[in-house]
Amino acid sequence: MEAQIKTYPTKLIDRQWLSNSTFEIKFSKPPSYIIIPGQRIQIYYQTMGRDYTPVSAPEDPEITFCIRKVDTGKFTPLLSSAEIGAQFEFSKPEGYFTFKPSRRPPIFVATGTGIAPFCSMVRSGVTGFTLLHGVDSLEDLYYQSELAAAANIYVPCISREYQTSTEHFRGRVTDYLQKHLPAASYDFYLCGRREMIRDVTWLVDKRFAGSLLYSELFY
Amino acid sequence: MKIYTGTGDWGKTSLFSGERVSKGDRRIEACGAVDELNSLLGALVTGLAEKNPDLADRLQEIQTDLFQMGAILAITPDSPAMESLEEITAGQITELEQTIDQLDAQLPNLSGFILPGGHPTAVWAQISRSVCRRAERHVTRISDEYSEGKTTQQFQMALVYLNRLSDYLFVLARYCNHIQGVSDTLWKHK
Repeated sequence: MEAQIKTYPTKLIDRQWLSNSTFEIKFSKPPSYIIIPGQRIQIYYQTMGRDYTPVSAPEDPEITFCIRKVDTGKFTPLLSSAEIGAQFEFSKPEGYFTFKPSRRPPIFVATGTGIAPFCSMVRSGVTGFTLLHGVDSLEDLYYQSELAAAANIYVPCISREYQTSTEHFRGRVTDYLQKHLPAASYDFYLCGRREMIRDVTWLVDKRFAGSLLYSELFY
Repeated sequence: MKIYTGTGDWGKTSLFSGERVSKGDRRIEACGAVDELNSLLGALVTGLAEKNPDLADRLQEIQTDLFQMGAILAITPDSPAMESLEEITAGQITELEQTIDQLDAQLPNLSGFILPGGHPTAVWAQISRSVCRRAERHVTRISDEYSEGKTTQQFQMALVYLNRLSDYLFVLARYCNHIQGVSDTLWKHK
């Protein structure tokens, strides 16, 4: 009774390192491959597969991911070293973490490479949101100028580095929400680490009643 | 990846449409009853898989339908989230009716109330039927709160589906006894 999972062949086209630990990886887009910004794709290589959300827009000619290499992991070291031209497989796009316009102001909250779905949304024309991007240090603020240009309010939240300019909020995203976001109803979109999602969800329940909340775990 | 997030530790959970609700909310009760029914169908599939793979396959299709229903029940009426879900169709209900008719045609006529019991698979089917009726009662309560829109129409479809599924599970219970050579036990006045 096991159903065969349909996969789509793809080829690794390019890889660019954005920092010591994070790289952008570009794949060919399989023919007639339809994806909505915010959806994830399972990338298969040999017997392994992992979910990632593209940073590219669906209209882009290739599909690009932003990935943090986890030295103790199995799949990201492989992605970080696979040869250009190597064959991979994609699942069909999955998930519902997509932008749903409403009357409430959208608040995007990301940690680290959890910025990916928001990047894809911005590249397909989403504007007028508040974006908090929580990172450990300045070098992890990928796509900063692009995101800042599309956002109403863009707040990089730097948790570890000491030398931050006035443009950056020193602290965690939850600290910012607690101190600076007026109590009201919003549409929250959370993507990133489990602890961030848990803490922001609790905060939303306490402080922003009547809000909607969509979340996606991302590493 | 760890499966726990802890976001629901304080008695609230998120609906598919993003709304934060109490875990005691009627919609969560309805989703929970459908979930319980689905688990029971899993037990029934296990009991039937070896000797009656056709029945087990059909039940697995129904389990998939119940997942679809669970997502619909977790939607705030008129939320745009409905756009990203597959709707319950009249075709799914027709298929259920055809399955009922096909089994029923092979059974002796029913001449009264029957006591739940007999072969273990028949018992699982009866337990599933009674939980299906509970799910139907929960969905009725949330359906009564709304009267317009696409989600409300889908709640109605869920009600029809559950009503038909209860009938199917009743017929299936009888059928499970029938193929095992177990006769119906009719209810009698004391």
